[in-house]
Amino acid sequence: MHDRALINVEVNIVPFSTGERRKRSRGDKRILELGSTIKSTFEPVVQTSLYPRSEIDIFVHVLQQDGGLLQASINASTLALISAGIPLHDFVCAVTGGVHSTAPMLDLTTLEENDIPHVTVAVMPKTKKVTLVTMETRLHVDRFGDIFKLACEAGQVIHKEMKRAVSERTQKLVTAMEMGPRVVPSADVGDRDAMIDDLNDY
Amino acid sequence: MERRVCQCSISTADGSALVRLGDTTIVCGVKAEIAEPELDRPNEGFLVPNIDLPALCSPKFKPGPPTEEAQVLSDRLNDVLLASGIISRISLCIEPGKSVWVLYIDAICLNYDGNAFDAALLAMVAALRNTRLPKAAYNEETGRTTCSRRSLLPLQVNKLPISSSFGVFDSTHVLADPTTFEEPLLDTTFSVIMNEDGKLVSVLQLGLGLVGQPGTLDRCIAAAKAHSSDIRNLVYDTSNTS
Repeated sequence: MHDRALINVEVNIVPFSTGERRKRSRGDKRILELGSTIKSTFEPVVQTSLYPRSEIDIFVHVLQQDGGLLQASINASTLALISAGIPLHDFVCAVTGGVHSTAPMLDLTTLEENDIPHVTVAVMPKTKKVTLVTMETRLHVDRFGDIFKLACEAGQVIHKEMKRAVSERTQKLVTAMEMGPRVVPSADVGDRDAMIDDLNDY
Repeated sequence: MERRVCQCSISTADGSALVRLGDTTIVCGVKAEIAEPELDRPNEGFLVPNIDLPALCSPKFKPGPPTEEAQVLSDRLNDVLLASGIISRISLCIEPGKSVWVLYIDAICLNYDGNAFDAALLAMVAALRNTRLPKAAYNEETGRTTCSRRSLLPLQVNKLPISSSFGVFDSTHVLADPTTFEEPLLDTTFSVIMNEDGKLVSVLQLGLGLVGQPGTLDRCIAAAKAHSSDIRNLVYDTSNTS
C-alpha cells in the first residue's frame, strides 16, 4: 500500500525470562501470534497515513515475565512509540482481568493465569474505545460483563501513570533544550532571550 | 567513557547482570539445568554461552536469523570462557557419570555502540559472579537429582577474565574501545584478554596487522592490564554492595 506505513512487530523472549529455561525459536506460533496481536492493536491507533511507503518496526524484548505478557508489551509499545515521536490518536493502555469464583482480580501473575479465567483488554483512554479484547479461557457469560467494565476502568488508571511518565520525560527534554542556549558563551543576551521566548511559544 | 556494571535483579534467572560500556548495553542471564555428562568426561559440567544481537540494538542489524557477527561473537566468547578457566567444569559436577550442571549463559544486546565483545564478556563474567545454584543431591536408587528449594550456594568463580579491545586506524593511530562510528573505518582490531594475576588469557587480532611501530602491542597490553583491573574492581564493588 502506497499511502500508509506498514507496522511490523517482532517479539523476542529471552531464554532466562521464565522459571524454566526454554529457547523459543523465532517461528514459534505463540510468539508470532503475540506479535500479530500487538500489530492489529496498534494499526488503528498509529497515524500511518502520515508516513507513506515506510515501515515502522516495533521490537519487543521480554527480559523477565510473570504474567501479563501481552498487556505489558502493549503498554511498553505505546510508550516506545510516544518516545519515538510517532503520532498516535491516543494512548493504548492494556490490563488483564480475571475472576476467581466471584471475586474480580486485575493484573494476574503466571500462577494465577494458569488457574483462573482471564481476559486482556486494551483501551484508548480519551475516547474510551476498546482496541483489543482477547480471552483464551472459559468464562461464564454473566461474569464477563463485570470484569470487562472493571478492566476498562483499570485502563484509565494505567493511563494516568503513563501520562505522568511521559510528562516527566518531556519536562527533562525541555529543560535540556532550555539549557542549550545558555551553554554557548558567545551568544548575545538578546539572542538568548529570543530563543527562550520561542520555546515558550510552544 | 562511562562504564557501569549493575547487579540485575532478574528473579527468574539464577544469575544476571547489566553492563553499560559507553552506550553499548548488554543484559546477561544465567540459567542452570541438569544433564548427563559426556561419556569420556564423566565429572565435567557444561558452559553454554550465547549472545544475541537483535535488530533492536542497532540500525545495522536487520530482523531475521542471527547475523554472522552474533555467531562469531558467541564462538569467541565460548573460547575465552573455556580457556580462562573462570569456572572449573569439575566444580559443576553433582555425581560423576550421572548428573552435572549445565550453565546456559545468555546475553542480549539492548544498545549497540561498538565493542560488543568487551561488554558481552564483562556481562557474562558479572552474571556468573551473581549466580546462585541450589544444592543438588543425586539419589542412587531413583536415579534422579533433587535440588533444595531453600539453600542456594554461590557459584565458585575463579579469576575473572576482562577484555580490552583496540582498533588501528590508518596503520598509525591506536583507538581504545572503538565505537560503532569508528569500527568500519579501522583496518585492524585486536582484543587483549587478561586474568587477575596479570596473565594473558588470549590475544586476538583481525585485519592487516600492526604495520609500523613494533612496540604498539606491548603498550596496548600494558594499557589493557590497567584497564582490566579498574573494571574488575567495578565488578567486585557491585557484588559486594548487593
